Amino acid sequence: MNTIFPANVSAHLLLQAMAANYNLRYRYRKYLKSTNGWIDFSVGFRTRDDTIVQTISFKDGRARVTGRIIKNVDAVIVFEDDSAFMNMLSNSSEEVLTMMLKNRIRIKGNHLCVLLFYFLMSLLMNEFKGKGTGKETARNGNTPPRKKSALPKHVPERPSIRRKATLTIERTGEGVKYLDDPYLSQYCLEDFPRLGRFLSIHFDTMPEVCPERAKLITDWYLKNGFEKKRNGQPWIPETRQAYAFKHLMENKKPIIREDDLIAGTTTTMPIGAVMYPDSQGMFIWPELYTMSSREMNPCRVSRRTAKVLHHHVFPFWMRRNIKLWVGEKYNNPLCEQIGDHLVVYILSKSVALSHTIADFPTLLALGTSGIRRKISEELLRDTAADKQKRYTLEAMSICLDGLESYTRNLAGHARKLARKAVSTQRRGELERLAEICDKVAVDPPDTLDEAINLIWIAWVALHMENTNVGLSLGRMDQWLQPFFESDIEKCTTQEQREKYIKHAIRLVCCFFLRCTDHIPMSPDVGKHVVGGAPANQAVTLGGVTPDGKDAVNDMTYIFLKATEMLGIRDPNVNARYSPEKNSDTYLKRLCEVNLITTASPSMHNDSAVITSLEEFDYPIEDVRDWSSTGCVEPTLSGKHIGHTGCMMMNMVAALEMALNDGTHPLMKWDLGPKTGSIDNGAFPTFEDFFEAFKIQFEFLIANAVQYNNYLGESHSVMRPTPLLSAMIRDCIRNGKDLTKGGARYNSSGIACIGLIDVTDSLIAIKKFVYDDKLITFAELKDAVDSNFKKHSMLYAMIQNKSVRFGSGNAEALEMANRITKVTHDAFASHRNFRGGIYTTGFWSMSNHVAFGMLTGALPSGRLAGAPFTPGLTPQSHASNNLLDNIKDVAGLDPHNMNNNIAFNIKVFPAAGESHEKSVDDIYSYVKTYFDLGGMQIQLNVINTETLRDAMARPENYQNLLVRISGYNAYFTTLTKELQLELIHRAEFGI
Amino acid sequence: MAGDPLIFEIKRNSLDDGPGIRTVIFFKGCPLSCSWCQNPEGRCPRVEISFDRKKCIDCKTCLNICKNSALDRHPLYFIEREKCDLCFECADNCPTEALARVGRHISVQEIMDAVVRDIPFFNTSGGGVTLSGGEATLYMPFASKLLQALKQQDISTLLETCGHFDFQAFDELIYPWLDQIYYDLKFFDSGFHRKYCGVPNDQILENFEKLYARSLDGGVPILPRIPLVPRLTAVKTNLRALAAFLRKNKARQVSLLEYNPLWQDKMITVGMTSDYDKTDWMTKKEVKVCRSFFKKFDII
Repeated sequence: MNTIFPANVSAHLLLQAMAANYNLRYRYRKYLKSTNGWIDFSVGFRTRDDTIVQTISFKDGRARVTGRIIKNVDAVIVFEDDSAFMNMLSNSSEEVLTMMLKNRIRIKGNHLCVLLFYFLMSLLMNEFKGKGTGKETARNGNTPPRKKSALPKHVPERPSIRRKATLTIERTGEGVKYLDDPYLSQYCLEDFPRLGRFLSIHFDTMPEVCPERAKLITDWYLKNGFEKKRNGQPWIPETRQAYAFKHLMENKKPIIREDDLIAGTTTTMPIGAVMYPDSQGMFIWPELYTMSSREMNPCRVSRRTAKVLHHHVFPFWMRRNIKLWVGEKYNNPLCEQIGDHLVVYILSKSVALSHTIADFPTLLALGTSGIRRKISEELLRDTAADKQKRYTLEAMSICLDGLESYTRNLAGHARKLARKAVSTQRRGELERLAEICDKVAVDPPDTLDEAINLIWIAWVALHMENTNVGLSLGRMDQWLQPFFESDIEKCTTQEQREKYIKHAIRLVCCFFLRCTDHIPMSPDVGKHVVGGAPANQAVTLGGVTPDGKDAVNDMTYIFLKATEMLGIRDPNVNARYSPEKNSDTYLKRLCEVNLITTASPSMHNDSAVITSLEEFDYPIEDVRDWSSTGCVEPTLSGKHIGHTGCMMMNMVAALEMALNDGTHPLMKWDLGPKTGSIDNGAFPTFEDFFEAFKIQFEFLIANAVQYNNYLGESHSVMRPTPLLSAMIRDCIRNGKDLTKGGARYNSSGIACIGLIDVTDSLIAIKKFVYDDKLITFAELKDAVDSNFKKHSMLYAMIQNKSVRFGSGNAEALEMANRITKVTHDAFASHRNFRGGIYTTGFWSMSNHVAFGMLTGALPSGRLAGAPFTPGLTPQSHASNNLLDNIKDVAGLDPHNMNNNIAFNIKVFPAAGESHEKSVDDIYSYVKTYFDLGGMQIQLNVINTETLRDAMARPENYQNLLVRISGYNAYFTTLTKELQLELIHRAEFGI
Repeated sequence: MAGDPLIFEIKRNSLDDGPGIRTVIFFKGCPLSCSWCQNPEGRCPRVEISFDRKKCIDCKTCLNICKNSALDRHPLYFIEREKCDLCFECADNCPTEALARVGRHISVQEIMDAVVRDIPFFNTSGGGVTLSGGEATLYMPFASKLLQALKQQDISTLLETCGHFDFQAFDELIYPWLDQIYYDLKFFDSGFHRKYCGVPNDQILENFEKLYARSLDGGVPILPRIPLVPRLTAVKTNLRALAAFLRKNKARQVSLLEYNPLWQDKMITVGMTSDYDKTDWMTKKEVKVCRSFFKKFDII
């Protein structure tokens, strides 16, 4: 460091200026203080060629700048060059992120400290840019709050007339015993005034960050220690988590929404973003004062909340985090470094492991007291149980104490509200709620309203323990039908029965709307990765029973009615359809609900999903009891930790690396094996190139798996989940937390993204370079590298003469099957931390757009930055014929897709088409697809014109529901890129 | 007409040419020449070349290939058709298929190969195969073979026809293999029919009467269809007369086909012109007026 670089001098001066502000001005200095003393941390800055080398450190309330990287620095930001450093200072966090993605900036060490640095810097920048300090921004908010309106607006495509036009059907001979018209066509939303009010809240309320959970657990840990107890003894992680959870539940504010029939709320806000500082929660640190004014999915943060989070919660957790634990224990391994670029794979494991279905049948049958009894029986039975087992079981019990306390608090609160209630009707409802809560606090439920309340309260509790990402509800229709039957049997007159059926519809709708009371905490960047996604609480309907019979029952249709009337994005409704067992009446209803809601439910072929799970020695009764989890993925209900959304894998990265001899072009990083250079003629045959692709892919898969396994281990230390463990089969018997493999079945599920882009690219290479020899591989590579600039002829040829998956071409289908097999086999060769297998799925959430943005042009003719196709949906121009799309996707072998798929089609009825014919047409496609063996299909019943109009006039389309890849979102909450992707999807008129 | 027909399109996944999901076989060549012809590329019974300006990327490949210098000579049509000898060198080399051959001889077997792929969709939807055009009855021996092949596979068949055919041949070769007929009626007045469709309509109406009588007697069901062409067919006198004609034949159902102006772009691609020039869709009100003449009918 003998040379003096001018950039280094500027950098030093800039950081000095920052330090001076924090040292000298109280308005800034106060931000360095936490409730537990000064916040000490340091961040280093360097360019790749060391033209800048600086550290800013904060200790005991003093900031210092040093012209080197100090020892034990918390984090170092490595810049590609001087201008990258300057950009970081002058740009929004969004652009900083883009720079990170493009490898212009890299972070080594504790990324949470970097977030804190960005936060402190943003306070200064706001003043510098004339925005005033964050406080004012927070108070005023830059965007006007969402308009209040009495009732949610309806999109033009779903006028009330269409809802009245629902089909009527005579009862069929399936498990439907009490509904005369299973389509329930006589009911509409207007029959349920309170639901209209709840819907307005859902659409018109800006979500708000709720600090309750984070504050209460932080209080407890500050008092009792996290790694060690007050007395210096290390904590057993299960025990620690259990006590903190109990403290949280005992002190959680009991809330019952006005007019609601279900007690309890996830947060203290009407719609709250739950804070999980040990997983992804702290990513919002730099945005604390700007979140409410961000363009996409704004979220209010009150002054009080920001204060609590910044001074109390975040400082405690800035060195305690699931991801951080891996970096520290394994010294920032390669697999983590790759993950940090967010270009190859994104691991949701760092957020949560609870992508699963809790054992609600047991809870409903035994109540919390029954589960507690099972725990004590196990302690008595297994006299040889070791300490760890005893602690684990005890921890489960402590958690159940917490759940019970909260339920009792709700009962007390209901009673209090009842006393104040103005109307007699409401007083009656609240008194009944008090009774229900008192009962289900320990005892099993007997009625439908008791069962639904118990599920909801347990649901809240599970979300106090586990991040609200993909934790799913399971086969609600199956589990609630017995309560429905026993209730309705008590009705003696037809009139009573009808009244009860209406009540059941209302209850289920209330439950659906309860599920909308929380959203995942998402930093701004989340708009790309999980664009507009809610918590994705999947509900599963229909299919077959564990003994293989038709499972469609009265409750199935009641849930479908709720889905139809509400048209909301979450719960994510998934319908199983068994071509052998389920009726056409049922499938037709699924199509009708899709037509009315425009995008729900997602439909699954039961037989194909069951076939896909054949390779494991799961008992068939358990396989038949599968539920969708998060988006689409199968979990064996109540017995299985399948963490089915553990990672998003970009398959195209492997293709790009094979094209570039192991170097990833965007990252400019030669991380992969050297598989040969195209310019040197390394691939005499197509098979040689395919092999290179396979090697690169397996390399990336091995790293992704290793990282996932490290994160799995981290969960077992940082965040065991005793409550959920008590509600997953065999954790009690094994005396083992589910994070350690206590569940009966264990696996991890992958979402592979870009299958079709890889398939079409490989086919194009094979056809043009090897089979027809129209061009050399080097020419094609040159065209791809230049994004087809100056190669318009070649581009046109590829666009028009390629064979593509989805065009009915046998070779393309074979290629797709071959690639899915390679993928499946590569993942299946690995084991996860819990000893389970890896399963492979092909769905993408919104990452086909996010990864697409970071990917260059492809031999398939896809241009640089363009989205991949969603899930495994064919390219929109693969065929102008929907039948080809349907047949090719149905032709994929389910054995290679054991974490399910997402196949999107966009259809739209011609103007003036009758409701009945539209339903029949949709039914014909879906039915044929399933008859041909297709696994899953999800519809957008909307025309491109409407989507364009919604882009231009979002205020008219607040509730326009669309299906992305696996989940539902409101169109207007999506990024422009994602909106365009939906618009560009092929539209098939019906 | 002797010989095998040219087929200009096999369109799958059609929802508008009969019940369910259907595959439509378009025969090239038509005895009529309606001035609003919806499929102008199906009119001429010979092979043609088409040019779609929207697809052209101006790469000039074709200009270098054409030995007759027939290309890029016409401001609207691009192709100077008097010079073109239909060698199709340009079309074969066009990267975007902007230049394309219209009409191919396709054997019954090849058509069947294309059709059978979609049998699962026919089955779930109650669909099948529709013969359309042009006019399939111009090629009765071939159409007959095709229909028989379809019936052998138990595929439902439907004919869309203008009705201008020799009844006896039709009765022998086509009728036995049909499940349904869509029968288009344009003008009741033969003079207008000759003026705007090129031929008088006496045979058409006569054939209709015979076939409809049979359908009432358990024969092949027939759906009469009337294309609503503003100022031509969609006028009071004509619709009133057609309605009376249908009533006389005891028809209960009728399909009114709303005018669709998209044919005009297609016409340019094959170098044709027409005097008829309505370029927009009908208004709801116009359609309503047309429907009012068929009050006693089930309008499909």
